[in-house]
Amino acid sequence: MSRALVPVTLVTLFFVGLQLSLLSTLRVDGVVIMLVWLWPFVMGLTGVTSLAVVSAIIAGLFFDTHTATPFGLTALVGVALGYATSRLGREGVGDLDSAAWWVTPLLAAVGGFVAPALYMTLGFVELNFTLWRGSVLAMMVVNAVAFMVLARPIARVARFVARVGERGRR
Amino acid sequence: MATDRSRRRAWTLGAIITLVITLLYLTVGVVSGLRSAANLVVAPFSWTINAIARPIGHLFAGAINYSDVVAQNQKLRYELGKAQLRINENWAFDREMQQLTTQLKVPFVGSMPVVTAQVTTISPTNFAATVDISKGRDDGVLVGMPVVANGGLVGMVISTTPRGATVRLITDVNSSIGVTYTGSNNSMIVSGRGVNNGLGASAVSLTTTLRPGTILSTDSQNGGIFPPGLPVAKVLSVSLTPGASTYDITLQPTADLHHLYYVDVVLWEPST
Repeated sequence: MSRALVPVTLVTLFFVGLQLSLLSTLRVDGVVIMLVWLWPFVMGLTGVTSLAVVSAIIAGLFFDTHTATPFGLTALVGVALGYATSRLGREGVGDLDSAAWWVTPLLAAVGGFVAPALYMTLGFVELNFTLWRGSVLAMMVVNAVAFMVLARPIARVARFVARVGERGRR
Repeated sequence: MATDRSRRRAWTLGAIITLVITLLYLTVGVVSGLRSAANLVVAPFSWTINAIARPIGHLFAGAINYSDVVAQNQKLRYELGKAQLRINENWAFDREMQQLTTQLKVPFVGSMPVVTAQVTTISPTNFAATVDISKGRDDGVLVGMPVVANGGLVGMVISTTPRGATVRLITDVNSSIGVTYTGSNNSMIVSGRGVNNGLGASAVSLTTTLRPGTILSTDSQNGGIFPPGLPVAKVLSVSLTPGASTYDITLQPTADLHHLYYVDVVLWEPST
Protein backbone atom coordinates (compact mmCIF):
# COMPACT_ATOMS: atom_id res chain seq x y z
CA MET A 1 0.00 0.00 0.00
CA SER A 2 2.74 2.49 1.01
CA ARG A 3 4.61 1.94 -2.30
CA ALA A 4 1.46 2.51 -4.29
CA LEU A 5 0.56 5.62 -2.30
CA VAL A 6 2.77 7.96 -4.33
CA PRO A 7 1.53 6.84 -7.80
CA VAL A 8 -2.07 6.74 -6.51
CA THR A 9 -1.75 10.31 -5.18
CA LEU A 10 -0.16 11.57 -8.41
CA VAL A 11 -2.71 9.86 -10.67
CA THR A 12 -5.55 11.06 -8.43
CA LEU A 13 -4.29 14.66 -8.59
CA PHE A 14 -4.01 14.31 -12.36
CA PHE A 15 -7.66 13.23 -12.51
CA VAL A 16 -8.68 16.11 -10.23
CA GLY A 17 -6.85 18.49 -12.59
CA LEU A 18 -8.61 16.87 -15.55
CA GLN A 19 -11.96 17.23 -13.78
CA LEU A 20 -11.42 20.89 -12.93
CA SER A 21 -9.83 22.11 -16.13
CA LEU A 22 -11.46 20.01 -18.82
CA LEU A 23 -14.59 18.22 -17.65
CA SER A 24 -16.08 21.30 -16.00
CA THR A 25 -16.25 22.92 -19.44
CA LEU A 26 -17.02 19.81 -21.52
CA ARG A 27 -20.56 19.33 -20.23
CA VAL A 28 -23.01 16.85 -21.68
CA ASP A 29 -26.53 18.30 -21.69
CA GLY A 30 -25.26 20.76 -19.06
CA VAL A 31 -24.11 17.93 -16.78
CA VAL A 32 -20.54 17.54 -15.48
CA ILE A 33 -19.10 14.01 -15.72
CA MET A 34 -17.71 13.18 -12.28
CA LEU A 35 -14.35 11.56 -12.93
CA VAL A 36 -13.49 12.10 -9.23
CA TRP A 37 -16.10 9.41 -8.45
CA LEU A 38 -15.25 7.05 -11.30
CA TRP A 39 -11.58 6.87 -10.24
CA PRO A 40 -12.11 5.48 -6.69
CA PHE A 41 -14.90 3.30 -8.11
CA VAL A 42 -12.57 1.49 -10.53
CA MET A 43 -9.73 1.58 -7.99
CA GLY A 44 -12.08 -0.42 -5.73
CA LEU A 45 -12.57 -3.00 -8.48
CA THR A 46 -8.88 -3.87 -8.17
CA GLY A 47 -9.76 -5.25 -4.74
CA VAL A 48 -7.45 -3.00 -2.71
CA THR A 49 -9.80 -1.25 -0.29
CA SER A 50 -7.18 1.04 1.23
CA LEU A 51 -6.15 2.43 -2.19
CA ALA A 52 -9.78 2.96 -3.19
CA VAL A 53 -10.49 4.85 0.04
CA VAL A 54 -7.30 6.92 -0.17
CA SER A 55 -7.96 7.88 -3.80
CA ALA A 56 -11.57 8.79 -2.91
CA ILE A 57 -10.46 11.00 -0.03
CA ILE A 58 -7.73 12.77 -2.01
CA ALA A 59 -9.91 13.28 -5.10
CA GLY A 60 -12.97 14.33 -3.09
CA LEU A 61 -11.23 16.75 -0.75
CA PHE A 62 -9.18 18.44 -3.47
CA PHE A 63 -12.30 18.71 -5.62
CA ASP A 64 -14.38 20.06 -2.72
CA THR A 65 -11.92 22.88 -2.07
CA HIS A 66 -12.82 24.19 -5.53
CA THR A 67 -16.60 24.15 -5.10
CA ALA A 68 -19.19 25.96 -3.01
CA THR A 69 -20.87 22.69 -1.97
CA PRO A 70 -20.51 21.13 1.53
CA PHE A 71 -16.87 20.31 2.19
CA GLY A 72 -16.14 16.60 2.24
CA LEU A 73 -19.39 15.40 0.65
CA THR A 74 -17.79 14.48 -2.70
CA ALA A 75 -15.11 12.57 -0.79
CA LEU A 76 -17.75 10.77 1.25
CA VAL A 77 -19.59 9.58 -1.87
CA GLY A 78 -16.27 8.50 -3.40
CA VAL A 79 -15.38 6.54 -0.25
CA ALA A 80 -18.78 4.80 -0.27
CA LEU A 81 -18.41 3.86 -3.96
CA GLY A 82 -14.77 2.79 -3.60
CA TYR A 83 -15.45 0.73 -0.49
CA ALA A 84 -18.48 -1.01 -2.03
CA THR A 85 -16.64 -1.90 -5.24
CA SER A 86 -13.55 -3.06 -3.36
CA ARG A 87 -15.78 -5.71 -1.71
CA LEU A 88 -16.78 -6.84 -5.21
CA GLY A 89 -13.19 -6.55 -6.45
CA ARG A 90 -11.99 -8.93 -3.71
CA GLU A 91 -14.38 -11.55 -5.05
CA GLY A 92 -13.01 -11.00 -8.55
CA VAL A 93 -16.16 -9.28 -9.80
CA GLY A 94 -15.25 -6.62 -12.36
CA ASP A 95 -11.71 -7.88 -12.78
CA LEU A 96 -10.52 -6.94 -16.28
CA ASP A 97 -8.85 -10.28 -16.97
CA SER A 98 -11.15 -12.89 -15.49
CA ALA A 99 -14.65 -11.37 -15.65
CA ALA A 100 -16.68 -10.94 -18.84
CA TRP A 101 -15.82 -7.71 -20.76
CA TRP A 102 -19.18 -6.11 -20.05
CA VAL A 103 -19.12 -6.54 -16.24
CA THR A 104 -16.88 -3.53 -15.48
CA PRO A 105 -18.83 -1.10 -17.74
CA LEU A 106 -22.13 -2.39 -16.36
CA LEU A 107 -21.01 -1.97 -12.75
CA ALA A 108 -19.66 1.49 -13.58
CA ALA A 109 -22.96 2.46 -15.19
CA VAL A 110 -24.78 1.48 -12.00
CA GLY A 111 -22.22 3.48 -9.97
CA GLY A 112 -22.61 6.54 -12.19
CA PHE A 113 -26.39 6.31 -11.92
CA VAL A 114 -26.40 5.97 -8.14
CA ALA A 115 -23.64 8.48 -7.27
CA PRO A 116 -25.55 11.80 -7.82
CA ALA A 117 -28.55 10.44 -5.88
CA LEU A 118 -26.25 9.30 -3.08
CA TYR A 119 -24.67 12.75 -3.02
CA MET A 120 -28.05 14.43 -2.58
CA THR A 121 -29.16 11.89 0.02
CA LEU A 122 -26.02 12.50 2.07
CA GLY A 123 -26.63 16.23 1.61
CA PHE A 124 -30.11 15.80 3.13
CA VAL A 125 -28.56 13.91 6.06
CA GLU A 126 -26.26 16.92 6.49
CA LEU A 127 -29.44 19.08 6.46
CA ASN A 128 -28.44 20.73 3.19
CA PHE A 129 -31.60 20.82 1.10
CA THR A 130 -30.30 23.07 -1.67
CA LEU A 131 -28.54 20.22 -3.48
CA TRP A 132 -31.78 18.91 -4.91
CA ARG A 133 -32.09 19.68 -8.62
CA GLY A 134 -34.92 19.23 -11.09
CA SER A 135 -32.39 17.84 -13.55
CA VAL A 136 -31.19 15.06 -11.23
CA LEU A 137 -32.30 12.34 -13.66
CA ALA A 138 -30.18 13.94 -16.41
CA MET A 139 -27.20 13.92 -14.01
CA MET A 140 -27.73 10.25 -13.19
CA VAL A 141 -28.20 9.15 -16.82
CA VAL A 142 -25.29 11.19 -18.23
CA ASN A 143 -22.93 9.97 -15.50
CA ALA A 144 -24.10 6.37 -15.96
CA VAL A 145 -23.36 6.48 -19.70
CA ALA A 146 -20.03 8.29 -19.22
CA PHE A 147 -18.94 5.86 -16.47
CA MET A 148 -19.87 2.94 -18.73
CA VAL A 149 -17.77 4.29 -21.61
CA LEU A 150 -14.77 5.33 -19.50
CA ALA A 151 -14.76 2.38 -17.09
CA ARG A 152 -12.44 0.02 -18.95
CA PRO A 153 -9.66 2.48 -19.93
CA ILE A 154 -9.61 3.98 -16.41
CA ALA A 155 -9.75 0.51 -14.85
CA ARG A 156 -6.54 -0.30 -16.76
CA VAL A 157 -4.85 2.72 -15.16
CA ALA A 158 -6.15 1.62 -11.74
CA ARG A 159 -4.86 -1.92 -12.27
CA PHE A 160 -1.44 -0.58 -13.26
CA VAL A 161 -1.26 1.63 -10.15
CA ALA A 162 -2.41 -1.22 -7.87
CA ARG A 163 0.24 -3.54 -9.36
CA VAL A 164 2.92 -0.99 -8.48
CA GLY A 165 1.83 -1.52 -4.87
CA GLU A 166 1.90 -5.29 -5.24
CA ARG A 167 5.43 -5.22 -6.70
CA GLY A 168 6.48 -3.10 -3.72
CA ARG A 169 5.08 -5.70 -1.32
CA ARG A 170 7.03 -8.53 -2.98
CA MET B 1 10.09 -3.23 15.53
CA ALA B 2 8.17 -2.64 12.34
CA THR B 3 5.10 -1.76 14.43
CA ASP B 4 7.18 0.77 16.40
CA ARG B 5 8.42 2.33 13.20
CA SER B 6 4.94 2.54 11.64
CA ARG B 7 3.56 3.97 14.90
CA ARG B 8 6.31 6.61 14.92
CA ARG B 9 5.55 7.38 11.27
CA ALA B 10 1.83 7.76 12.05
CA TRP B 11 2.60 10.10 14.96
CA THR B 12 4.93 12.20 12.79
CA LEU B 13 2.31 12.39 10.04
CA GLY B 14 -0.35 13.35 12.60
CA ALA B 15 1.90 16.02 14.10
CA ILE B 16 2.67 17.48 10.67
CA ILE B 17 -1.03 17.59 9.71
CA THR B 18 -1.92 19.24 13.05
CA LEU B 19 0.88 21.79 12.60
CA VAL B 20 -0.19 22.62 9.04
CA ILE B 21 -3.86 23.01 10.05
CA THR B 22 -2.86 25.19 13.04
CA LEU B 23 -0.71 27.38 10.81
CA LEU B 24 -3.50 27.66 8.24
CA TYR B 25 -6.00 28.52 10.98
CA LEU B 26 -3.75 31.16 12.52
CA THR B 27 -3.03 32.82 9.19
CA VAL B 28 -6.09 32.83 6.94
CA GLY B 29 -8.62 30.42 8.40
CA VAL B 30 -8.81 26.68 7.77
CA VAL B 31 -11.14 26.49 4.77
CA SER B 32 -9.63 29.49 3.04
CA GLY B 33 -6.15 28.10 3.73
CA LEU B 34 -7.13 24.65 2.48
CA ARG B 35 -8.49 26.22 -0.70
CA SER B 36 -5.24 28.11 -1.30
CA ALA B 37 -3.13 25.02 -0.54
CA ALA B 38 -5.32 22.78 -2.72
CA ASN B 39 -5.13 25.32 -5.54
CA LEU B 40 -1.35 25.30 -5.30
CA VAL B 41 -1.20 21.48 -5.42
CA VAL B 42 -3.71 21.00 -8.25
CA ALA B 43 -2.60 24.03 -10.31
CA PRO B 44 0.41 22.32 -12.01
CA PHE B 45 -1.80 19.37 -13.04
CA SER B 46 -4.56 21.66 -14.36
CA TRP B 47 -2.00 23.84 -16.12
CA THR B 48 -0.38 20.83 -17.84
CA ILE B 49 -3.73 19.39 -18.90
CA ASN B 50 -4.83 22.77 -20.25
CA ALA B 51 -1.55 23.27 -22.07
CA ILE B 52 -1.96 19.90 -23.82
CA ALA B 53 -5.73 19.70 -24.30
CA ARG B 54 -6.64 23.28 -25.24
CA PRO B 55 -4.53 23.57 -28.43
CA ILE B 56 -5.77 20.15 -29.61
CA GLY B 57 -9.38 21.12 -28.84
CA HIS B 58 -8.95 24.49 -30.56
CA LEU B 59 -7.37 22.82 -33.60
CA PHE B 60 -10.34 20.49 -34.08
CA ALA B 61 -12.94 23.14 -33.22
CA GLY B 62 -11.25 25.67 -35.53
CA ALA B 63 -11.00 23.22 -38.42
CA ILE B 64 -14.61 22.07 -38.13
CA ASN B 65 -16.22 25.43 -37.36
CA TYR B 66 -14.02 27.76 -39.42
CA SER B 67 -16.84 29.28 -41.48
CA ASP B 68 -18.91 29.75 -38.30
CA VAL B 69 -15.98 31.47 -36.61
CA VAL B 70 -15.58 33.88 -39.54
CA ALA B 71 -19.32 34.66 -39.52
CA GLN B 72 -19.27 35.10 -35.75
CA ASN B 73 -16.28 37.41 -36.00
CA GLN B 74 -18.08 39.61 -38.54
CA LYS B 75 -21.16 39.72 -36.34
CA LEU B 76 -19.05 40.60 -33.29
CA ARG B 77 -17.38 43.46 -35.18
CA TYR B 78 -20.83 44.79 -36.05
CA GLU B 79 -21.99 44.42 -32.42
CA LEU B 80 -18.82 46.13 -31.20
CA GLY B 81 -19.46 49.07 -33.52
CA LYS B 82 -23.03 49.31 -32.27
CA ALA B 83 -21.88 49.16 -28.65
CA GLN B 84 -19.31 51.88 -29.29
CA LEU B 85 -22.03 54.06 -30.79
CA ARG B 86 -24.23 53.42 -27.78
CA ILE B 87 -21.39 54.32 -25.40
CA ASN B 88 -20.94 57.64 -27.17
CA GLU B 89 -24.68 58.32 -27.07
CA ASN B 90 -24.93 57.35 -23.41
CA TRP B 91 -22.05 59.48 -22.24
CA ALA B 92 -24.23 62.57 -21.73
CA PHE B 93 -27.00 60.46 -20.19
CA ASP B 94 -24.55 58.90 -17.72
CA ARG B 95 -23.39 62.30 -16.54
CA GLU B 96 -26.96 63.40 -16.04
CA MET B 97 -27.75 60.17 -14.20
CA GLN B 98 -24.71 60.58 -11.98
CA GLN B 99 -25.81 64.10 -11.01
CA LEU B 100 -29.34 62.91 -10.28
CA THR B 101 -28.22 59.91 -8.20
CA THR B 102 -25.84 62.14 -6.23
CA GLN B 103 -28.71 64.48 -5.47
CA LEU B 104 -30.91 61.55 -4.43
CA LYS B 105 -28.03 60.02 -2.41
CA VAL B 106 -28.30 56.72 -4.29
CA PRO B 107 -25.09 55.00 -5.45
CA PHE B 108 -24.61 54.93 -9.23
CA VAL B 109 -22.95 51.81 -10.65
CA GLY B 110 -21.38 53.64 -13.60
CA SER B 111 -19.23 55.70 -11.26
CA MET B 112 -18.16 52.86 -8.95
CA PRO B 113 -14.65 51.43 -9.10
CA VAL B 114 -14.36 47.91 -10.47
CA VAL B 115 -11.69 45.22 -10.49
CA THR B 116 -11.44 43.23 -13.70
CA ALA B 117 -10.73 39.54 -13.14
CA GLN B 118 -10.30 36.48 -15.31
CA VAL B 119 -12.59 33.49 -14.83
CA THR B 120 -10.31 30.61 -13.85
CA THR B 121 -12.76 27.78 -13.14
CA ILE B 122 -16.38 27.36 -14.16
CA SER B 123 -18.52 25.51 -11.62
CA PRO B 124 -16.83 22.09 -11.62
CA THR B 125 -19.88 20.45 -10.04
CA ASN B 126 -23.51 19.81 -10.94
CA PHE B 127 -24.70 21.04 -7.56
CA ALA B 128 -23.63 24.69 -7.43
CA ALA B 129 -23.55 27.44 -10.05
CA THR B 130 -20.29 29.22 -9.26
CA VAL B 131 -17.16 30.48 -10.98
CA ASP B 132 -13.70 31.10 -9.59
CA ILE B 133 -11.98 34.35 -10.53
CA SER B 134 -8.34 35.42 -10.53
CA LYS B 135 -8.61 38.42 -8.15
CA GLY B 136 -9.05 38.18 -4.38
CA ARG B 137 -8.57 40.03 -1.12
CA ASP B 138 -5.20 41.43 -2.22
CA ASP B 139 -7.04 43.39 -4.93
CA GLY B 140 -9.83 44.61 -2.65
CA VAL B 141 -12.37 41.92 -3.56
CA LEU B 142 -14.59 41.15 -0.56
CA VAL B 143 -17.46 38.79 0.20
CA GLY B 144 -20.82 40.27 -0.87
CA MET B 145 -19.54 42.39 -3.75
CA PRO B 146 -21.56 42.26 -6.98
CA VAL B 147 -19.97 40.91 -10.16
CA VAL B 148 -20.99 42.10 -13.63
CA ALA B 149 -20.10 41.02 -17.17
CA ASN B 150 -21.51 40.42 -20.64
CA GLY B 151 -24.27 43.00 -20.24
CA GLY B 152 -25.60 42.39 -16.75
CA LEU B 153 -25.31 41.10 -13.21
CA VAL B 154 -23.45 37.79 -13.06
CA GLY B 155 -23.51 37.09 -9.34
CA MET B 156 -22.00 37.86 -5.98
CA VAL B 157 -18.67 37.07 -4.33
CA ILE B 158 -19.21 34.37 -1.68
CA SER B 159 -15.67 33.56 -0.62
CA THR B 160 -12.22 34.97 -1.11
CA THR B 161 -8.59 33.95 -0.86
CA PRO B 162 -5.69 36.41 -1.11
CA ARG B 163 -5.44 35.86 -4.88
CA GLY B 164 -8.79 34.47 -5.88
CA ALA B 165 -12.50 34.49 -5.17
CA THR B 166 -15.60 32.38 -5.76
CA VAL B 167 -18.64 34.00 -7.33
CA ARG B 168 -22.12 32.54 -6.86
CA LEU B 169 -23.96 32.98 -10.15
CA ILE B 170 -27.49 34.41 -10.21
CA THR B 171 -28.76 31.04 -11.48
CA ASP B 172 -27.64 29.20 -8.32
CA VAL B 173 -30.53 28.01 -6.14
CA ASN B 174 -29.18 29.99 -3.19
CA SER B 175 -29.37 33.26 -5.13
CA SER B 176 -32.29 35.67 -4.54
CA ILE B 177 -32.28 39.22 -5.89
CA GLY B 178 -34.75 42.06 -5.35
CA VAL B 179 -35.58 43.58 -8.75
CA THR B 180 -37.72 46.29 -10.29
CA TYR B 181 -38.22 47.71 -13.77
CA THR B 182 -38.48 51.08 -15.42
CA GLY B 183 -41.68 52.99 -14.81
CA SER B 184 -42.83 50.80 -11.96
CA ASN B 185 -42.81 50.86 -8.19
CA ASN B 186 -43.37 47.11 -8.03
CA SER B 187 -40.61 44.97 -6.62
CA MET B 188 -40.23 41.24 -6.98
CA ILE B 189 -37.74 38.54 -6.13
CA VAL B 190 -35.81 36.77 -8.87
CA SER B 191 -34.32 33.44 -7.75
CA GLY B 192 -31.91 31.02 -9.33
CA ARG B 193 -33.26 27.62 -10.33
CA GLY B 194 -30.04 25.70 -10.67
CA VAL B 195 -27.19 25.32 -13.07
CA ASN B 196 -29.24 24.39 -16.12
CA ASN B 197 -32.61 25.84 -15.22
CA GLY B 198 -32.05 29.61 -15.36
CA LEU B 199 -34.09 32.09 -13.34
CA GLY B 200 -37.56 32.28 -11.90
CA ALA B 201 -39.66 34.96 -10.22
CA SER B 202 -42.06 34.35 -7.41
CA ALA B 203 -45.27 36.17 -6.49
CA VAL B 204 -45.55 38.40 -9.55
CA SER B 205 -48.65 40.41 -8.73
CA LEU B 206 -51.41 40.87 -11.32
CA THR B 207 -51.02 44.64 -10.93
CA THR B 208 -47.61 44.58 -12.64
CA THR B 209 -47.35 45.77 -16.21
CA LEU B 210 -44.63 43.39 -17.34
CA ARG B 211 -44.25 42.67 -21.03
CA PRO B 212 -41.91 40.34 -22.92
CA GLY B 213 -38.64 42.19 -23.42
CA THR B 214 -38.85 44.16 -20.14
CA ILE B 215 -35.47 44.38 -18.41
CA LEU B 216 -35.49 43.74 -14.66
CA SER B 217 -32.76 45.47 -12.71
CA THR B 218 -31.60 45.43 -9.10
CA ASP B 219 -33.68 47.35 -6.62
CA SER B 220 -31.92 48.78 -3.62
CA GLN B 221 -34.63 51.09 -2.34
CA ASN B 222 -35.13 48.95 0.73
CA GLY B 223 -31.51 48.35 1.63
CA GLY B 224 -30.86 45.58 -0.89
CA ILE B 225 -27.63 43.68 -1.24
CA PHE B 226 -26.85 45.09 -4.69
CA PRO B 227 -26.50 48.66 -5.94
CA PRO B 228 -29.58 49.77 -7.89
CA GLY B 229 -29.86 49.66 -11.67
CA LEU B 230 -27.82 46.55 -12.49
CA PRO B 231 -29.61 44.63 -15.27
CA VAL B 232 -30.48 41.14 -14.02
CA ALA B 233 -32.93 39.47 -16.38
CA LYS B 234 -35.08 39.95 -19.43
CA VAL B 235 -38.73 38.85 -19.46
CA LEU B 236 -39.26 36.26 -22.18
CA SER B 237 -42.95 35.56 -21.66
CA VAL B 238 -45.77 36.48 -19.33
CA SER B 239 -48.70 34.12 -18.90
CA LEU B 240 -51.64 33.79 -16.60
CA THR B 241 -53.06 30.43 -15.57
CA PRO B 242 -56.87 30.69 -15.26
CA GLY B 243 -57.79 31.13 -11.62
CA ALA B 244 -54.25 31.99 -10.51
CA SER B 245 -53.58 35.13 -8.51
CA THR B 246 -50.06 35.69 -9.85
CA TYR B 247 -48.40 35.75 -13.25
CA ASP B 248 -46.08 33.01 -14.51
CA ILE B 249 -43.10 34.63 -16.13
CA THR B 250 -40.13 33.18 -17.96
CA LEU B 251 -36.85 34.98 -17.48
CA GLN B 252 -33.48 34.95 -19.17
CA PRO B 253 -30.36 36.39 -17.52
CA THR B 254 -29.24 39.57 -19.34
CA ALA B 255 -25.62 38.49 -18.92
CA ASP B 256 -24.45 35.60 -21.06
CA LEU B 257 -23.46 33.17 -18.31
CA HIS B 258 -22.32 30.47 -20.72
CA HIS B 259 -19.40 32.50 -22.07
CA LEU B 260 -17.77 34.04 -19.02
CA TYR B 261 -14.08 34.78 -19.55
CA TYR B 262 -13.60 38.14 -17.84
CA VAL B 263 -15.79 39.78 -15.20
CA ASP B 264 -15.85 43.08 -13.30
CA VAL B 265 -16.15 42.98 -9.52
CA VAL B 266 -17.94 46.17 -8.41
CA LEU B 267 -16.16 47.44 -5.30
CA TRP B 268 -19.42 48.07 -3.47
CA GLU B 269 -20.67 46.80 -0.15
CA PRO B 270 -24.25 46.94 1.09
CA SER B 271 -23.29 49.23 3.98
CA THR B 272 -21.84 51.82 1.57
